[in-house]
Amino acid sequence: MKVTIPNDQWDEGKEGVIVTWIYGDGAEVEVGDVICELMVEKIQSDFVAPASGVLRILVEADSTVEPGDHVADIE
Amino acid sequence: MTSSRTLTMARAGREAVMWEMEQDPRVFMLGEDVYKFGGVFGTADGLGEMFGADRILDTPISETGFIGLATGAAIAGMRPIVELAFIDFIGVCYNAIVNLAAKHHYLSNGQVKVPMVLMLGSGGGYNNGGQHSQALHACLAHMPGMKVVAPSNAYDAKGFMHAAIRSDDFVVYIGHKKLSGVGFFGKPIPGTMSEIPSEPYTLPFGEAKVVREGIDATIVAISWTVHQALDAAEKLAHEGIDVEVIDPRTLVPLDRESILKSVAKTGHLIVADEDYQSYGFTAEVIASVAELDPTVLKSAPVRVANPDVTIPYSRPMEQHILPTSQRIQEAVRRVLSK
Repeated sequence: MKVTIPNDQWDEGKEGVIVTWIYGDGAEVEVGDVICELMVEKIQSDFVAPASGVLRILVEADSTVEPGDHVADIE
Repeated sequence: MTSSRTLTMARAGREAVMWEMEQDPRVFMLGEDVYKFGGVFGTADGLGEMFGADRILDTPISETGFIGLATGAAIAGMRPIVELAFIDFIGVCYNAIVNLAAKHHYLSNGQVKVPMVLMLGSGGGYNNGGQHSQALHACLAHMPGMKVVAPSNAYDAKGFMHAAIRSDDFVVYIGHKKLSGVGFFGKPIPGTMSEIPSEPYTLPFGEAKVVREGIDATIVAISWTVHQALDAAEKLAHEGIDVEVIDPRTLVPLDRESILKSVAKTGHLIVADEDYQSYGFTAEVIASVAELDPTVLKSAPVRVANPDVTIPYSRPMEQHILPTSQRIQEAVRRVLSK
């Protein structure tokens, strides 16, 4: 399953940052686990796994992201 | 079964608070911006929603009032956790901390205990000016009647938070803003994050940790300066200098024996601290070694601390006074070249 930043995560046109991945690449995660922390305009939010499986990280921590970006897969 | 998680310090400490609050109805949190905002440094993020306004209490900006309230609640059998945000403002409630929370146990001849935790955010390095950048832990560690914890990484943050909440003593828990992993203060420092068991665990007060073994000189560092010392150690290793780095983890009680043991091995002592230099942690460590056994010192010990000046707002000027890796390296080279 593709893990994408939801379109309603923050206002359009604003850039966010992946502050940190809580699970490493290849980790087993369960649906609902907080997998990373996002920050936009100095406000941090949790991002939860949309499915259970093996996490494959596509975008490294400290990268800028926008709503709709494909940041990881859960296999 | 999920894999182990890599947590920031803010998240690891919060996990301990959550677990203790779930287990023990006596535990509650109060302070500025905790219920709705989740704490300025993310220490209470999500707790308001989880436990409700009866157990996560937003207070007015009236530190003397709510520290007094927490002290009374602790004496009456509750286990309050107070979030004061910036350590810079202990001045406005110093009497409540020093003369109420820290003294009732003694003054009542041990009849009452004050099992409360006071959380404080410390440190600079993000150009926030002279009133929001101080370390000031010596102002608390100097006073009898409280334990003072200053963890440098997520594993310690969680273990000491469990220990602080369960302790029957008044514990001051100092988190460094730049180590918290809260994005506002910049990218989390990798050395602060580690794999954290989801189970609860406690750590003992007064046990230093040798975070890097070495034979040429001992650097004692606390909180943020632990990471500066480790960086310095890495740079010095390229020059063939092998330093030992010790993190006491708790200022009170201070593990003087472990520090002495290391200096007995290396012969040289450098102490790095972000608090002001005079009358501080650096002086305490050096005095302790000198009192316990001055013969272990092959050179005069060196303090690498913030000089006794107001922390400048200007970023280059602030960087100039902070006890950075660069300054620690210079101190080690100076000591060893004599």
